Amino acid sequence: MPADNPGETNARQALAPAVSAPPSYSPRPRKEGGEDIALEIKDLTIDFVSVDGRVRILNGVSLVAKKGEVVGIVGESGSGKTTLGMAILGLLDSPPARIVSGSVVFEGRDLLKLKPEEMEKIHGTGINMVFQEPLDSLNPVYTVETQIAESLKVQRKRQDPPVAQESEDETKKLITDLLRNLCIDKPEEVLERYPHELSGGMRQRVAISISTIEKPRLMISDEPTTGLDAYVQNRILGMFSAQRKAGETLLYITHDLTIASQICDRIYIMYAGRVMEAGETRGVLQEPLHPYTSTLVASVPQGFEDAPPLSVQLGEPPDLRNLPTGCKFNPRCPHAKDACKETEPKLEEIFADRYAACWRVDKALGRFS
Amino acid sequence: MGDLVEIENLTVAFRSKRREGLFRSGPSLKALDDVSLTIGENETFGLTGETGSGKSTLAKVLVGLYKPTSGTVRFLGREIDYKKRKDIAYLRQNVGIVFQDPVRSLNPSLTVKEVITEALIAAKSIPKKDYDERISFITKLVGVTKDLLPRRPRELSGGQRQRISLARALVVPKKLLVLDEPTSALDVSIQAQVLNTLKKLKSELNMSYLFITHDINVIKYVSHRLGVLFYGKLVEVGDTRTINTAPKHPYTQSLISHVLTLKKVGLQETVTSEHRPAPSGCRYRIVCPAAFERCDTVPPWLNLGDGHLVSCFLYDRSTQKESQALIPATAATGGGLPVTPHELP
Repeated sequence: MPADNPGETNARQALAPAVSAPPSYSPRPRKEGGEDIALEIKDLTIDFVSVDGRVRILNGVSLVAKKGEVVGIVGESGSGKTTLGMAILGLLDSPPARIVSGSVVFEGRDLLKLKPEEMEKIHGTGINMVFQEPLDSLNPVYTVETQIAESLKVQRKRQDPPVAQESEDETKKLITDLLRNLCIDKPEEVLERYPHELSGGMRQRVAISISTIEKPRLMISDEPTTGLDAYVQNRILGMFSAQRKAGETLLYITHDLTIASQICDRIYIMYAGRVMEAGETRGVLQEPLHPYTSTLVASVPQGFEDAPPLSVQLGEPPDLRNLPTGCKFNPRCPHAKDACKETEPKLEEIFADRYAACWRVDKALGRFS
Repeated sequence: MGDLVEIENLTVAFRSKRREGLFRSGPSLKALDDVSLTIGENETFGLTGETGSGKSTLAKVLVGLYKPTSGTVRFLGREIDYKKRKDIAYLRQNVGIVFQDPVRSLNPSLTVKEVITEALIAAKSIPKKDYDERISFITKLVGVTKDLLPRRPRELSGGQRQRISLARALVVPKKLLVLDEPTSALDVSIQAQVLNTLKKLKSELNMSYLFITHDINVIKYVSHRLGVLFYGKLVEVGDTRTINTAPKHPYTQSLISHVLTLKKVGLQETVTSEHRPAPSGCRYRIVCPAAFERCDTVPPWLNLGDGHLVSCFLYDRSTQKESQALIPATAATGGGLPVTPHELP
């Protein structure tokens, strides 16, 4: 593909999609059993300790991500989604964070027990994370090109057997193609800029490209498309789908159910540091078992201005320092019974690949009752 | 429904910082180009468009943070002279704003309570003894728990910060509330509560909203009328329902088709690379699948009935020289929506 020539008279031709082939969005591949597990989190409990006391951010979270799967982690702010992502990468500062119990097994090794040097090797090419705030994850004093090239260098160095570094020109070409794939129209111009010169959406795309170029085996993306418009969102999601096809596992942290419904194979609904419901995406969103999931689904605006108010139980988000007894959702739950206020339900398999932690879900009937 | 705000031929240009020589300044960029619209009383006007389309610029003009390069803004019939401090003060008394970025719009050194109190002090008309009552009323409405009041913005999550911005804007009732992506940083459940609250407040307080967001699902749910911006140009205005069910402008059509919903499965393939506006004529013509030669010139505003206006040659029957009759109905309220060729430098 020749580089865009600004002097080109036929503007339309010059601007014809520079993207080689759009990633395809085929429906999720259904795999037959026996696939290997990329990430398994078991009973992870994390406290934040400060002078004000101890706050339990995560409480017995278990999660499984199979290879090549997109797993969504959905919940409100403060539900522990980001903490979970950071814990996997070992990015939580201690203090305040303290891992109380649990394990995070990635490719057969417990990441929580690894030495910092070993963990460093996993960062980037093994597990990579795209953060919500792209400005925080980009270095303000280097140009976009330098930063992406650095990631590429790391990727090449860690390959087994090591791959020769590309020449400068090849690197540049690789990077431009990547940016173009992310809907960035004039990659050559963007490459010379510094992060603060870019718009929010552009920055986020640069941050994503840095992560993707390292070809991690597990990518954790924390609200990567929040605040971006529909076009860019589609593009980024499409890119993630393409990567999944290449065998990459993706943990997608979001509060946006519409996005989760698009790309996730399975989702975990989190509330107050606990998994409330888990299972195959379509099933969870269309026939939610847990009342909290139903609330989330009902919160998505639908219809026009004259539509009735969204049926959401008003209620304050949970205060982690002062959680209620019993089910943590009970103060906001429209169906709470006495049992819900006394003991906390455990996450149980209700039927095949559907889990819920709710006293009102009848295991025999396999539904909310 | 009377018109609260009338914006006519509003153009806002920014001069590029990059200088081309010692004395020559860089090219200027038109963030808004010849935009005309009206917001009625008690109306929610939704403004949508992708990043960089000038949505936020319009919001800032309405609160006097940016000055128009040309064009007029009338508020309740009073033309705002952006050079007069009095006029700006008048505008700010009547127009509240909630910004897109909750981090940068809150003073980091003030506590939440102080942030909200500042708005009350600035309003000057509220007795001090009412402060606490108003603060507790508004914080409850937007979903801020009491224990957050003594905290500082950095201790809060993004969602909480945005709720505080909302509380600050609503603590003193305004005639028009400009909501610049107010819910894009919020959780769905909180967003739903805020949307419900906004709807309720609007009818109670006799307020109009200018609701700016790129989230079509949200804008559809809140707004009566909708305007679609593409790189500073308004391309389509009309009833929200009409635009959502039968969009006319090719850009609007593509925008609507890219909306993700819970029910729709499968992403829309985005074959086009990033939208690049055309330097002249219809801005969308470079990516427009339906573009033809005439799109080189600026398309006129065409009235498709019921206040549905579209700026696209596809719906122009002017070969019959009757296009004059098709000039939009809003033209009657002012100088009309003139069609002037414009060039980007």
